[in-house]
Amino acid sequence: MADSKRKNKTPEQQQYEKFEQKYETKRPVLKNCIKAFFVGGFICMIGQLISYFYIYFFHFTEQTSSNPTTATVIFLSMLLTGFGIYDRLGQFAGAGSAVPVSGFGNSIISAAIEHRTEGFVLGVGGNIFKLAGSVILFGVFSAFVVALIKTIFIMMTGGF
Amino acid sequence: MTNKKYAFYILIFSICVFLTGCEKETPNSRWSMLKKVDPAPIALYTETAAGQEELLQGIKEETSMMPSIYDVAVIKGKKDTLVAYKVKQMARFKMKRIEKELTEKLKSKYPDEKFTVSSDFKIFLETIRLWDKTQQPDFSKEKAEKRLKEIIKLNNELT
Repeated sequence: MADSKRKNKTPEQQQYEKFEQKYETKRPVLKNCIKAFFVGGFICMIGQLISYFYIYFFHFTEQTSSNPTTATVIFLSMLLTGFGIYDRLGQFAGAGSAVPVSGFGNSIISAAIEHRTEGFVLGVGGNIFKLAGSVILFGVFSAFVVALIKTIFIMMTGGF
Repeated sequence: MTNKKYAFYILIFSICVFLTGCEKETPNSRWSMLKKVDPAPIALYTETAAGQEELLQGIKEETSMMPSIYDVAVIKGKKDTLVAYKVKQMARFKMKRIEKELTEKLKSKYPDEKFTVSSDFKIFLETIRLWDKTQQPDFSKEKAEKRLKEIIKLNNELT
C-alpha cells in the first residue's frame, strides 16, 4: 500500500517528502507512553481509593461500589476541568488522562465551556455531548451486541 | 480566590472526609481490608449443639487450605454459617471459580450446614466488625444474629 502510494508521487514530491522527514520533529512515543501509564495508573488508584471509601463507610459491596465510584470520578474530573486543571493534566499525560472514565467528564465539560458563548440552548445544550455522545452511543451499542452474543451462546450451549 | 486555591481547599476537604469516622472503628476491623486479621471462628449459640468449636475450626481449616485464600473469618448463627475470606491479589481473576469450588467442598464435607460464602471485601469487613462486637460483654446474641442475617442479605444483593 505504502509502496504504491510512493510510486504515484512525482520525483519532486518524493524529494520533498524526504526533506520533510529530515526536519520533522520526532514524537517521543516511549516517553508519552510512560507518562500516560503512570498518570492513568494514578487516576485508577484514586478510583480504587474512592471505591474502598464507599465500601468502608457506606453499605456498598465490591460489586455495587463501582457505580458510585464511577460517578464520583466523573464528577471530580468535571470539577477539575472547570477549574482548568484537567486541561494541563491532559497536555502532560495525553491518553493517560483521556482513557480512564475521568476523560468522559472532561469531554462533556470542555465542550460545554467551549460553546458557552453561543447560548445555553443551542450552545451548551446542543454541543455538550459533542464528544461524549459517541462514547455513550458506542458503549450502549457494544453492550447490546455483547449481551446478544452471550444470550445466544447460553441458549445454544446451556451455559457452562 | 484563584482556581488553584479552590482546588486546594477541595483536596483538603476530600482528605478530611476520607479520614472522618476512623475513631469509632474497633481494633481488628480498622485495618482488616489491608492486612491479615485471621480471627478465631465463633458460634453465636454455643449451647445448641456439642462440638461446635471443632466444626467451626474444621470449616476454617478447610477454607484456609485453598492456596489462593489467605484470610478467613467464620461466624455461625442459628442456621446460617458465614464464611468470609480474602483472595490473593493474582488469584482475584478466578474469584468465581474459587467461590464455587469452596462452596462445593464445604457442602460435601458438612452437608447439614447452610453456608454463605463470600470473597467480597465488604462482607469480610462487616464480619470482622461483628466479630469485634461479639467480644464485648454487653452485645446480645439476638443482636449478633440479626446483624449476621443483615450481612448475608447484603451479600445476596446484586445491584
